[in-house]
Amino acid sequence: MKSIIQIVQEKPWVGWLLFVLTVVVVFFIGLLASTIVERRGEERAMFRLLKPIADWEPRNEVWGENFPREYQTYLATSDTVFRSKYNGSATVDMLEQYPSLVVLWAGYAFSRDFNQARGHYYAVKDVRFTLRTGVPQPATCWTCKSTDVPRVMNEKGVAEFYKGKWADLGSEIVNPIGCQDCHDNKTMNLRITRPALIEAYERQGKKVQDATLQEMRSLVCAQCHVEYYFKGKEEKYLTFPWDDGMTVDGMEEYYDNVEHVDFVHALSRTPILKAQHPDFELYRTGIHAERGVSCADCHMPYRSEGGVKFTDHHIRSPLNNLANACQVCHREEQGTLVKNVYDRQDKIVDVRGRVEEALVKAHVEAKAAWDAGAAEDEMKPILRLIRHAQWRWDYVAASHGGSFHAPLECARILGTAMEKVQEARLLLSQVLTRRGVKWPVAMPDLSTREKAQAFIGLDMNKAREEKRKFIDTVIPEWDRAAKEREGKMGDAYVR
Amino acid sequence: MKFVRLFLPPPQWRVPVIVLAGILVGLGLYTLRISNAVSYFSDRSETCMNCHVMAPQFASWQHSSHARFTICNDCHVPHDNVLRKYLFKAQDGLRHSTVFTLRQEPQVIHVKEAGIAVIQENCIRCHLHLVEQTTAVEVSGANYAHGRGKLCWQCHRETPHGRVNSLASVPHARVPRLSRVVPKWIEDFVHRQPTSK
Repeated sequence: MKSIIQIVQEKPWVGWLLFVLTVVVVFFIGLLASTIVERRGEERAMFRLLKPIADWEPRNEVWGENFPREYQTYLATSDTVFRSKYNGSATVDMLEQYPSLVVLWAGYAFSRDFNQARGHYYAVKDVRFTLRTGVPQPATCWTCKSTDVPRVMNEKGVAEFYKGKWADLGSEIVNPIGCQDCHDNKTMNLRITRPALIEAYERQGKKVQDATLQEMRSLVCAQCHVEYYFKGKEEKYLTFPWDDGMTVDGMEEYYDNVEHVDFVHALSRTPILKAQHPDFELYRTGIHAERGVSCADCHMPYRSEGGVKFTDHHIRSPLNNLANACQVCHREEQGTLVKNVYDRQDKIVDVRGRVEEALVKAHVEAKAAWDAGAAEDEMKPILRLIRHAQWRWDYVAASHGGSFHAPLECARILGTAMEKVQEARLLLSQVLTRRGVKWPVAMPDLSTREKAQAFIGLDMNKAREEKRKFIDTVIPEWDRAAKEREGKMGDAYVR
Repeated sequence: MKFVRLFLPPPQWRVPVIVLAGILVGLGLYTLRISNAVSYFSDRSETCMNCHVMAPQFASWQHSSHARFTICNDCHVPHDNVLRKYLFKAQDGLRHSTVFTLRQEPQVIHVKEAGIAVIQENCIRCHLHLVEQTTAVEVSGANYAHGRGKLCWQCHRETPHGRVNSLASVPHARVPRLSRVVPKWIEDFVHRQPTSK
């Protein structure tokens, strides 16, 4: 057989044929490669913002121009009508409903005013109007309230932001929790904008960057719906106490080690730990988290409108949206599902109430012990028990939905709280008996909020009057300054 | 060897031919690289997102109850043996990539006959305990094609992708893409580097 060289030498057209064939093959491979690149690019081009959003644009309505469905459903968080058995989106005066809370928080701003939280839409409004901000608060309090926070943090620096006074940032922080808290302004991907979560993860040796999309759908919530404290007397640096574990025991140990005290109880002189709202931590111990269900799966399920499916940004109790939230997975009837939720809540609320009652007694009895001349060393172990008991009670009481997210863990925590508070009362009875005080100690009348506040010596009229003055004079000034600034921002921030 | 020798260039052409062959192979490798070809051997649902037209399917799956327990391949490729699995994957994948490359994808994507058979098989594979006492267990792609029996999803119509299906149905769905989830300035700050604006 002849070699190809000989063939080509004899018939030059075979050479040309080979040449043309090679050209065709290379041409088509090149074409294929270029269409792949093109279609890859298309993926990016498909997601176009009609009106580009500037970096750190805080105004939700500006984002909303690009995403009318998401924005309109977000606006629905302004609803204040829905009430479930224990929660909902209405304003409920919790101190009115549970007057013993006033005694448990004696010496702390929460004893003045504590309402059931409304939707994200009201985040800024509610923190402005609460009597708790009538006393001087650090700027750190703003961290979770507004889309202006990442903007100001970016300008000022994080540590600088925390260091300031709450009232000093009044004109800067005006837009309520919204779009940019969770979304990237260019890609709309989920992102973390609050440093505390990233820092807590890093200290645990984990990386937020490694989170999957499904994890991100919980982590964006965990920027705020967690237990936290302000580290440092001056720094007031927002910190999540997760270094010794994300459980109630781990955080208790952490707080004891750093000797953190939120306030000294006005009656019992206990160095109290005030739990914030360990929603994410409790949720993690529940069955839904175990099965890989994220916060958004139940609180922001898919919804369809005409031919379009989108995430419902009306973040709310699934009890208000059972069909989309629960029945995607659970085939039971609505009534059954509601009953399943209430059954769990009823039981936790029952135990919680019992612990609450015992804690009130412990505080009053401790005060009686001090009044009878009890010594510091005698009281120390007792106050430690009360500190831990109240922390554990509060951990459950302050969490939103914890009794449903993790009923088992809540029951365990309340069980340990009960054990500790009763042990404290046993020791107290011994102290009092030694000093000849009659047991049981007389309990105050705590049937209403007013009576409870009078008992701990709060002058509510003065607090209300100061707040009224603040609302009438300071807030309009903040709004005016903010409007002026945002008017300017219109040119600088919106291209 | 004789056959190979047939194509050997004369000695003085060897270098240019080696270079040209290298270009051809390089071009091929480049194509494999940009098409994420290796990912097709995996079972990850993200692989299906190599073609952006699959975003509605990914998003609706991800928001369904099936997302907790299944990935795309659990339903869309056969699982009775490895050979059939990869054969089916190759056939299906080549058809998909051809359609996609030629821009022939329809506005509303429907599953084809071979896909129907596999999905039906897989419904029964997992949910056997639900149907083994009934005639539904007999329904297969072939039976259905001959008008015998109904497919599972002809009644369970929302499972799992829902009834609203078109390329435009999830305009803002965040399907997994590899990108930064933390703003640069926070990353910098956390790592105590000078803050950049």
